[in-house]
Order: sequence, then C-alpha cells, then structure tokens
Amino acid sequence: MKVPSDSRARILQQVHAATQKTENPGDLASTYSSLPRTYVRAGRLSATERIALMIERLREYDADVVVTIPDKLDAAIATQLKASGRHVFIAAEGLPASWMTDGFEWKIDRNLSAAEIETCEGVVTGSFGGIADSGTIVLHHSAREGRRIVSLLPDWHLCILYASRVVETLPEYFARCDQPPVLATYISGPSATADIEMTRIKGVHGPRFLNVIVVDDLGAELNIRQQGKEEISQGKST
Amino acid sequence: MRASLFITCYNDTLFPETGRAVVRLLERLGVELDFHPKQTCCGQMHANTGFRGEAFCQAKRFVRMYQDVEAVVIPSSSCVAMIRDQYPGLFEELGNEELRRQFASLLPRVYELSEFVVDQLGVDDVGAYFPHRVTYHASCHGLRGIHLGDRPARLMNKVRGMEQVSLANLDRCCGFGGTFSVKNGEVSSAMLAVKLQDVMATRAEFCTALDNSCLMHLGGAMHRQYAGMKTIHLAEILASTEAEPAEALL
Amino acid sequence: MNGTSYHPVLDPTLAPPFPKAVLPVLRNPQLRKNVAHAIDVIQAKRSRLVAEKVDWQELRSAGAAIREHSLAHLGAYLEQFEVRCTAAGGTVHWAADADEARRIIVEILRQENASEVIKIKTMTSAEIQLNPFLEAAGIKAYETDLAEIILQLGHEEPSHIVVPALHVNRSQVREIFAQSMGIEDLSDDPKALTAAARNYLRQKFLTVPTAISGANFLVAETGSVAIVESEGNGRMCLTLPNTMITLAGIEKVIPRFQDLEVMLQVLARSATGERMNPYTSLWSGVTPGDGPQRFHVVLLDNGRSEILAKNTERQTLRCIRCAACMNSCPVYRQTGGHAYGSVYPGPIGAILTPQLMQMNHAQSLPYASSLCGACYEVCPVKINIPEVLLELRSQLVNQERGKAAKFFDPMYLGLRAANLIFSRAWLFHSAQYLGRVGLKLFTGKDGWIHRLPSVGGEWTQTRDLRGLPKQPFHGWWAARQKEGR
Repeated sequence: MKVPSDSRARILQQVHAATQKTENPGDLASTYSSLPRTYVRAGRLSATERIALMIERLREYDADVVVTIPDKLDAAIATQLKASGRHVFIAAEGLPASWMTDGFEWKIDRNLSAAEIETCEGVVTGSFGGIADSGTIVLHHSAREGRRIVSLLPDWHLCILYASRVVETLPEYFARCDQPPVLATYISGPSATADIEMTRIKGVHGPRFLNVIVVDDLGAELNIRQQGKEEISQGKST
Repeated sequence: MRASLFITCYNDTLFPETGRAVVRLLERLGVELDFHPKQTCCGQMHANTGFRGEAFCQAKRFVRMYQDVEAVVIPSSSCVAMIRDQYPGLFEELGNEELRRQFASLLPRVYELSEFVVDQLGVDDVGAYFPHRVTYHASCHGLRGIHLGDRPARLMNKVRGMEQVSLANLDRCCGFGGTFSVKNGEVSSAMLAVKLQDVMATRAEFCTALDNSCLMHLGGAMHRQYAGMKTIHLAEILASTEAEPAEALL
Repeated sequence: MNGTSYHPVLDPTLAPPFPKAVLPVLRNPQLRKNVAHAIDVIQAKRSRLVAEKVDWQELRSAGAAIREHSLAHLGAYLEQFEVRCTAAGGTVHWAADADEARRIIVEILRQENASEVIKIKTMTSAEIQLNPFLEAAGIKAYETDLAEIILQLGHEEPSHIVVPALHVNRSQVREIFAQSMGIEDLSDDPKALTAAARNYLRQKFLTVPTAISGANFLVAETGSVAIVESEGNGRMCLTLPNTMITLAGIEKVIPRFQDLEVMLQVLARSATGERMNPYTSLWSGVTPGDGPQRFHVVLLDNGRSEILAKNTERQTLRCIRCAACMNSCPVYRQTGGHAYGSVYPGPIGAILTPQLMQMNHAQSLPYASSLCGACYEVCPVKINIPEVLLELRSQLVNQERGKAAKFFDPMYLGLRAANLIFSRAWLFHSAQYLGRVGLKLFTGKDGWIHRLPSVGGEWTQTRDLRGLPKQPFHGWWAARQKEGR
C-alpha cells in the first residue's frame, strides 16, 4: 500500500543536518529528563474538597451529578434511568449486569453497527477517572467504558465515576497512568461552539446530556453527599 | 552621583524641552550631569528596519563613547530596550572580542530615566508640582521590553497637585512602532484612532509617557484633530515645580 | 501549483502586500467590530484563567522547553513516532512538500475508492491547498467544523486559526446556510444555525467512510495522535469512518504521553480561554473493532526542516497553533486575518508564512508589526516573535539591498543617508540644521507641519508634526556650558 519514497530519507537527512549542533543523540533520555518542570505536579485539596470541586466543575458545564455510595450504586443508576424518560439503552460490553436496570431495553455493544446504536436513546459507561481542576471525565475505553462509538452517538450518557479515581490536577492523572492508554477520550464540557459571533452554543455533536454518578468509595464525608444530594439533582430536563 | 545624558537622536532634534527637563530634574536631585557632545543615535531605527550592519556602526560608536562613564541615563525606553535586547546579538554577530567586552562592561551602567531615579537615586518624590489632570500611557518598550513595572507610577504618585486618571487598555500599543508608522501608515493610524478614543475618554489635559516616540504619534493626531489635549514627556512633569513650571505650561 | 487556488486571497504567492491588503478592511467597520468582539471574548476568558493559574509562568517555561527539546531532537522523535505508530497498525508516509502530500493523500483515497471525505478542521490541509486538489481528482471533501462549513458553503476564507469564521456575523451565516442547505425558515439565532449544521452533518458522519484530520500533537513514545476540539465533529470523524488519514507538519511531534500534561493545560487556556476544551481524543494506530481500521499519517515537511536549521528562526516551529498571539495583537485587531494573505495570519503568520515561502513571498509580513511584544508575552511556548521578525527583516533587507530597483527606494536611500549622518556629530548637526531649514517650507504659522511629501506623507495623512525647534538640545547644552551654567 505504501509507496516507498526517498522523501523519507531526504527529510530525515535534512532534519538531522538541521539539528546536528543541538542534538544529543547518545543522551536523549537524560536530556529529556532534565527538562525543567517546576509547574504544579500535585494537588493540595483534601479528598472531600477534591470531589466537591469535581462535582462543581461538572455542574458548571450542565452535567447532572448525583453522589452515592457503592452499596447504593445500582439503585442510583435505576433512579437516573427512570428520570431520563428514555427506554432503549446501549451498554458497554463489560458493563456489570447489576447496572443494567430491569425494565429497560438494553443493547449490549458486541460490535453493534452505527445504525443500531443510532436507535439507542442513551448509554451507560464506567470511566477511567476524573480530573477535578477542569471537571474532566477520562475514558480509556476499557470493556466497562465501551468502544468510543457508544459514548459518542447516543444523546444521553450516564457515566459512573468512582471518587477514588478522581485526581485534582492534570499531571496527577498522567502520574496515575501505569502506561499510556492506546485510546482515550477526555470530556470536559458539552460539545460547544463559539464560531458564530463568539456566542457559545452547546450540543453540536456528541451526547447533549451528560449524567454523572459519583460513587463515594473513599468513605468521604456525609458533607459531600448532602451537597451532592442523593436524590436526583434538580436541573436538567431531558 | 555622576551620570552622562544620552539624549537620543530624536529628542535632540524634535524634543529638546524634554532634554532640558531631564537636566533640571537630575541636577535638582543632586546629580552631576555630563553630556557627550558627539553623541548621535543608538541605532534602533536601523536595527528595527533590518539594517543590522548600519545599526552596528552606531552601536559600536555608542559603546566606545560611554566606556568610562559611571552611568548613562536615557529618557527613552525604546532606546534602552534596543541596547539591552538587540546590542548583544549585534556584538555577537558583528563585533570582536574587545568590543564585546566593552559592551558587557557598559551594559549594567545604562539606565532609562525612571529606573535611574527610582533605583539608583533611590527617590520616589522628586519634589514635582504639576496641578493638572494627567493620564499615563505605558509605552510597549518600557512595559514589556525593559519591565519598568511600577516605577513610573511611584514617581507620578508623588507629584503634588496632579490628578491622575487611569487609561483604559493601558497596555495596548499606540501604533507608532518606528518606521511601522510610515511603512504601514494606515494600520498605524487605525491603531492610533482606537488608542486616542481611550486617551480622550480620560478627559485629561495631558497624556504623558516615558517615550516621545509614542507621544509625537498621539500628540500629532491630537493636534491635527483640534482634540483639546496635549502630550508631555514624564520628565517634564517631574521637572516641573511651583517656582519653575514645565515649559509646556508657559 | 497549477493556477487553481482554493484560497486565492490566502495564497502568499498571489496575495497583495500587507499595507495594500489592509485598506478595504480598515474601511469596513462591521468586520473590525466582529474581529474586536471575538478577540475581546477570548482575551477576557484567557486573562481570568491565567490569573487563577498560579503556575502559569512555570507551565510556559516547561512548554517552551519541551517544544524546543522536541525540535532539537526532531529526527530521533520522528523516527520513534514512525516505529511506534507502525507497530500499532498505522502507516506512516513522508511528504517533502505540499504537492507530494496531496498526491499521497489522493493515492490513498483512490485505493479506498473514496469519492467523498469528511474532514476535521486542519490548517495544514489549507496550507497545502488540499480541497481543490481533491475536487480535481473527483473527490468531494466535506468540512465538518462549524466554522469551516460556514467558510466552505459561503466560499469564504479563514481569518483566524482557532475561530476561522470570526469575521462572519450571524445574519451572514443564516444567508449561507439557508441557501446551501435549502432551509426556508431559518432564523439567525446561533442556536438555530448550529442545529441546522448538526442535522446537515449527522448523515455525513454516519455514511462517509473516509476521514482526513490534522493533529494537535503527535506523541513519539506511543505513536499516538491527539486531537483537541470543542464541537465533537472530531470525535465523529475519528471514530465512525473506516479509514483515517492524518496530515501533520513534522514539527507537531512531542516526546512522551506525559508531555500532554503541559501542552493541554496551556493550549486550552490560550486558545479558547478554558481550563480544558470539551473533547480531547487520543488514539494510537488501529484498534480492532474500535474506530478506523485503516490509519495513515502523512508527515509534512514543506519548508519546516529549513526553518529548523536556523538559530533564531527555529523557535517558530514551537507553535502549537493556539492563536493567543493574534488575539493579543493590536495590529491583527484592526486588520483581521485576510490581510495577511496566508492561512496563518497574525504574529505567528508574519514569521511562519514568509519562511515557508523561503522568503520569496509574503515579504511584507515581517513588517506588519509595531514590535509591541504583546504576542511574546502571551505565547504559551515562549516564541520570541519580535526577535524573529527582526531577524527576517534583516534577511529581507540583505536580499533586497543589492538590487538596482531598491537603490533609489526612498526608504533605503534615507536609511543609508541616516547611517552616514549618525556616524559623525558634525554631519548629524548639519543634517539637523538643513532639515529644519528644509522643513520650514512645510511648517505652518502655528509651528506645525501638516503635510509632507513622499514617505513623510504617510505620517502626515493622519498626524501633524511639530516643526523642528530652532535649537536642538545639544545646542542648548553647549550654550549653557559656555555661559558657565
């Protein structure tokens, strides 16, 4: 398929010639590791504050957020699904069975076609974690998080986020990655555009409704849960 | 304290009153001032237009001229920025060992006027009296080039009788930019128009700055438009006292 | 190029010089207002976020260091990227110039029997003028970024690298959409317009099997591509089709995945004034069952390796295309992007464009600046744009000064004369005297000059000049010395 060209050789030759005075080929790794990194690498907030910040940021961009504890997760999911007014959901292939509340139509994503996924009104996934500073939800598209298409096409996305997986700063997320993900999607807001007169319009492509259940598996305080409101958080009508 | 005044080519030719004010001010503050009679230009105009070889001729001349002085004071932040930002490259590229040495030794002894007064003389209150409404424009070279910071403000805050009005979009370029003002005259004028809106909105009697380059650009438009405001170099405000008001007021 | 230009206005080989190109813009209050408004919105958001970011300057330092390091070892990192990307299932192509890049892309599309492609916004594809080339090859390219759709359907040109349609207002967009999408009762409310675009694109995303993207970053360590976006059209294009072609300048490569912790923090804040943009996607090669199963990367040189070789100019390649420089630029604020005659406008465009043209075109751009330094102050990777501008000016002068045509150019003559004059005090003083006498002709009774000829006329079209004082400062000092103070 690929036509071998001497452009590759030429370009690399030119690049190496251009950098011969500054290149340190024998020592690339150590040159790299001595790059200055004096920016903030770790957060300062307590767990409670961190989770509270994550929730605040999520709500700032109109995500619907509720907090629950591990024992009540299945029930919380059921509540969210019922409140959505939707009936046909797609589940990531590795989604725990108990998360697929009875009474709804579940399509399990075993390589479903785009057309089939288009018939689903919502999707439920797990997540790799969250970054509180920017309210970012991180998906590494594991079995529990699903292929990229399942959290992209449906209009309503319920994402399960464990408190223990939330870090405060972006560098801390990177530090938590034992190895770089092969696939990743970072969600920090609803799809938005400001291309027309700088007027921010939300919901261009991708799910227009994001619901997050924060599962407090840290034994963190009642405080958060009360703030977070265990019942459905008031707010977004579907 | 002894210092040598580098008046700059354009101040010498177009704004001698600024030079006179600098002399009055510094002598009042006890500085023994000298003026090298053969001085001409720092080379900024040539350097900024791309005539580096020519700029270097002037840079060489400057460095040789001020080799042995205690301090050089310059009432123009763009010229000081030229010396700090561009002279190193010029001497590196076009100079020799000796010239580089001479330049390196002179560099720490070159000061913009407000730097000299605040840092070297250690003075904020220069005994000035200027009972007028004034707004201050932060010239780009002073602001971002040589980082004058709060020095101008500290000096202005101690001027008796002066009412200061802050300028909106204070840090936005006035559009002079040296030869930019003629090579891109229309854009320069558009930037000037926008800047003038902010300046006029202050309803000040005077717009001041530490660079006559910006001021001749602003002042030139004010004059053309019968705008009812004037420009004045900050040195002239600082030199002004009850006994000897600024020349601009006479 | 064979004469067909997609962006004739933005083709540096055809565009008028900057001082000329600005004239219609400066007389267009609507356009100036649109530009200023867009800039003010982004700037306000950016300022707020920068103020709250306690380690902003440290991030800039790290950003500059990472990008400079990447460039200093670009060969090694490009080779590493190729190895890792290939191992992950991608195919890496190398294009020496725009022409080769276009041919490679068309060849790939032909092998796929593609008659259509959907595109994620990429300035690099505009740089190589890809779309008309595809058209000529019988392949229809659909832009999917809202601004790019507006431009494509409206036959308009981008004027900013992050918000390319900022010069188009809502009623103009309404006009464009109503006509080309065939919608009758379309309001000019941005919400309605966006909804129209969403519907228009949905089918395209679901049916067109080939996509073309750019890359915000190429990660050498993993052979990954990172796409930073707001709308979600990127996610659509990089997930749904069968084949993805990513076109990226060779300078886009960064060493490691971890380096994104710096780049993403500074990019979002600089580009759109957000802590993080809505969607960032990262993929490495091909993942069976998820996303495109055929993935190609086209690495583009097109003049970059030459810029890389130059001491002062290399920093130009650090650019992460955030557009903070143009948002801060007082010149761009008045002129918008089109006047720069390049898909890369503003301060970065003023240094990148002429260099990509080997200094043979866009020669007016390095002078399209008052050297105020605002761009340098905001650049997240600390590109000293004024320094590069000055270097390019010097090169242009050296290129030109030998030519006969330039010898009698008033500016060249004047600067040569001025240098001579500054070399001797007596010459300087004589010139001052002659100048004052000469200008007397133009000096009015009020002591001011209202009109000057030639180059001076550029000054006096909007400004007066005070007549030269009788006694220069040095004369006053000399007299005072004589009097013994």
